[in-house]
Amino acid sequence: MPGLRNTLRDLRATHSMTQQELADAIGVTRQTVIAIELDKYSPSLETAFRIAHVFSVPLEQVFQYDPPSSRKK
Amino acid sequence: MMPSLSYQEKSLYGELIADLAVFVPYFVYMHLHHATLTVSIIAAAITILIAIQIVLQIVIAAFTRNRLKDERDRLIRLRGYRAGYFTIVGVMLFGMGALWVHTTLGQINPTHMALHFLTMFFAVLMIAEIVKTITQLIAYRRPL
Repeated sequence: MPGLRNTLRDLRATHSMTQQELADAIGVTRQTVIAIELDKYSPSLETAFRIAHVFSVPLEQVFQYDPPSSRKK
Repeated sequence: MMPSLSYQEKSLYGELIADLAVFVPYFVYMHLHHATLTVSIIAAAITILIAIQIVLQIVIAAFTRNRLKDERDRLIRLRGYRAGYFTIVGVMLFGMGALWVHTTLGQINPTHMALHFLTMFFAVLMIAEIVKTITQLIAYRRPL
């Protein structure tokens, strides 16, 4: 997914949380968590905030945005 | 890595199996017996389709614990319906054009026009349904 990166996998590992546990905590399916981790799906703002809330970190620590000018060609 | 299928994906595969199980024999039958088109064949196809759908969806639901539907599922569903809509518009225009050409050339009896139109309309809906389902299944495997 161009533009948006995330540290979901690292945060899950830090908190010893499975994909299913995170999915249950934020109210999505495990397949959606997998898609987010693989940068195949950009979640809604609400879900993004829920993820940040689960890990008790600011949103910017979970998701990072690369503006088009800074992306590799 | 191939992630496991969600309930929505399993449900879509069930839909696709039911669609193909009815539509393929329907199209083959219609192609071979186009001189004996009747409303009862279409009605039978719809009835069989509904029966297969109900059985498959019950089986899928019974063997799936988590039947949650989330924002990604809704987005993918919308994409599927959009693809289905464009298919209906495109194929309908093509079908009506074909009907007009065949009628103009005298290959269709004008007294059977309503039946031909009904058959074409049913075929358009079936094709759109299959396109919708396949679009959704592809969307589950591709970046959104």
